[in-house]
Amino acid sequence: MPLDTSSYSLALLRLDGRRWNELRRITAQISTMPSADGSSYLEMGNTKVLCTVTGPCEGGGTRDRDRADIRVELAIAGFSGVDRKRVGRGDKRVSEMVSTIQSTFASTLFTNLYPQSTIHISLHVLSQDGSLLAALLNASTLALIDAGIPMRDYITASTAGSTSSYSSNDESADPLLDLNTSEEQELPFLTVATLGGSDQVSVLVMETRVQAGRLEGMLAVGVDGCKQVREILDDVVREHGKEVLKSGRL
Amino acid sequence: MAITILAPAPAAAALPPRDHVRDSNDDDDSDNSDNGGVNLQGDFDKGSRPAKRARHTDIITPGETVTDDSQWMRGHGTYIAPASTEIIATVAGTVQKTNKLLSVRPLRARYTPEIGDLVVGRIVEVQSKRWRVDVGAPVFAGLPLSAINLPGGILRKRTETDELQIRTFFSEGDLLVAEVQSLHQDGSASLHTRSLKFGKLRNGIFMSVSGMGGGGGVVRAKRQVWMIHTAGGGGEVDVILGVNGYIWISKHIEAAGGDTAITRIEEKISSTVYSSQNDEISVETRTEIARIGSVIQLLVQEGVKIEEETISKAYEAAVGVASLNQGEGSGYLGGELGRIVMADVGKSS
Repeated sequence: MPLDTSSYSLALLRLDGRRWNELRRITAQISTMPSADGSSYLEMGNTKVLCTVTGPCEGGGTRDRDRADIRVELAIAGFSGVDRKRVGRGDKRVSEMVSTIQSTFASTLFTNLYPQSTIHISLHVLSQDGSLLAALLNASTLALIDAGIPMRDYITASTAGSTSSYSSNDESADPLLDLNTSEEQELPFLTVATLGGSDQVSVLVMETRVQAGRLEGMLAVGVDGCKQVREILDDVVREHGKEVLKSGRL
Repeated sequence: MAITILAPAPAAAALPPRDHVRDSNDDDDSDNSDNGGVNLQGDFDKGSRPAKRARHTDIITPGETVTDDSQWMRGHGTYIAPASTEIIATVAGTVQKTNKLLSVRPLRARYTPEIGDLVVGRIVEVQSKRWRVDVGAPVFAGLPLSAINLPGGILRKRTETDELQIRTFFSEGDLLVAEVQSLHQDGSASLHTRSLKFGKLRNGIFMSVSGMGGGGGVVRAKRQVWMIHTAGGGGEVDVILGVNGYIWISKHIEAAGGDTAITRIEEKISSTVYSSQNDEISVETRTEIARIGSVIQLLVQEGVKIEEETISKAYEAAVGVASLNQGEGSGYLGGELGRIVMADVGKSS
C-alpha cells in the first residue's frame, strides 16, 4: 500500500492517521533499573527500546588515556520485527548504528572529566516500528542523564521523510515527520539528531535516494521534530527529579 | 484503498504540564539558610540559588542556562560555552552555591572520592608496592604498602620482605575498610588503613547500594560505623556504611583491651589482623546479620536515605514484625512484610 499513490493526497492523512508534522506518541521512563548506574525505557510509537549505562568505571584498556572511552552494545531481539530473524553481532546495519551512537556521545559528553575509564551503553530493542536509530539515541540520552554523566545538552533525534518516492520525481512532495516501518520502506527518509534546542545537527544519516531540492524541507522538519522530542524528554527528567526531591532522597 | 484512521488511545502516562513557578513553593524550604558562607557539612541548600533566577523549579537539566551573570564561577556539573558568560548545566540536578561558586549537584551519579571519606573496597589487583582497590569510583583507588599498619608495630620500616609477601596482607578479592587520604589529578584516590578502625574485613556480609547522590543510598553522616545490639540472642553486630555505597555488616569482635591509643598499636597489630579466616558465628547472629541486610535492601527499594537512624528504626520495626509472625520475616522483606515495616518506620519518625 504505497503512500504516494493516492490516499495521502486526498485527505493529507498518513496511514496511521497522523498529519505530516505530527510525532507518534513518545513515552519514557528513567531509573528503571536500580542496579545500573543509569537506565531508561523509551517508546516512540511502537518502537520500544531499553537502555542501561554502566560507568564511568575502570577497565577494558582505554584507547585514549586523557578521556573516557564509550562502548556501545546493541542487541536487537529476534521477535522485535515483523518477521522473526536473528540479527547477529556482525550485522552491518547494527555496527553502523553502534558507531554512530558512539561517536555522537563521544563529542557530546565531557569525557575528559573521566580519564582512563569506560562508559558502557547497552541498548536492547524490544520492538521496532521505524525510527529505530532515533529511538536508540533518545533512550541513550535519557540513560546517560540518569547516570549523572555530564553532557553539553540533550541529544535528541527524529526522522523525516518525503511523501513521494525518488522515482516519481514529484516536485510538490511534502516532508513528513517521524516515519513508521511501512513509510520507511516506501519513502526516502533521513535520521537527524540535534544538540538540545539549537539547530546544531550532530547526526545526519540517510540511506535512500532523494532529489536534492527536497532535502532542505526534510531536514527542516526533522530538526523541528528534534526540538519537540527535547521538550518531551526534558519533561520526563524533570518529573523524575521532582519525585526524587519529594521523597527527600537528595 | 481507503484510509484507515486509528482511534487515538489514551496516553499511557499523561505528563502534567510543565510548571516553572507553581510547584516551587511546595518543596520543603526548612533548610533554606542563605547565609552565603561555606557550608561546612558539605550539605547543600535546596532553597538558595543565585538571585538572578529568583524562583525556578528545583531541577536543572543539561543544557539549561543557570545564570548569565559573570560574577559567578562555575563549579562541578556546569560549563561555560566558548565566547559567552553563560553558565550552563551539564547534569540534571539541583543548584548548589558556595560563596560565588555555582555547581549543579546531580540527582544520581557514581561516587566521587573526597579526602576523609570512609570507604569499603575490594582489592582487584596486587602490584609490587601497592594494591588497586575497587571503591565504586570511575577509576580504581590505590592503597600503597606504606599506608597500612604492618604487623609488628607502627614504627617498623617497610622492608623488601614486606614487598615480597604483599599478598599475605591483602590479596585479590579481599574486602577492606579504609579512609581516603589524598586525591590525584585524574580523580583517583589514595587510601590508608593506618588506624585500628580500618583494615581487613571478615565475619560478615557485603552489600552494594548506590553511593553519594544516588537518590537514596548512603549519605555522609556523623557516624558511618556503629554497633547494633540485636534481638533474639544475636549479640552485637557492626555495621560499616562506606560513603561509596558499599556496606559491610559483621559480627562484633571485641578488641582486646579496647584501647586504641597509638602507643599500644604495636602490641595489637599481629598477623591475626590480616587473617582471612572467619570466626565461629552462631546461627542467631547470622540471622540478625541477614535481617539487617534485608532491612537495608528494603530501604534502598523504598528510596530512603541509608544512615544510622533509618537503619535502626527499620531494624526495630522488622524485629517487631518478625516476633508477631513467629519467626517469619527474618529473611526477605518484600511485598506485604516490607509495607508493614515501612509503615512502622513512618509512624515512629
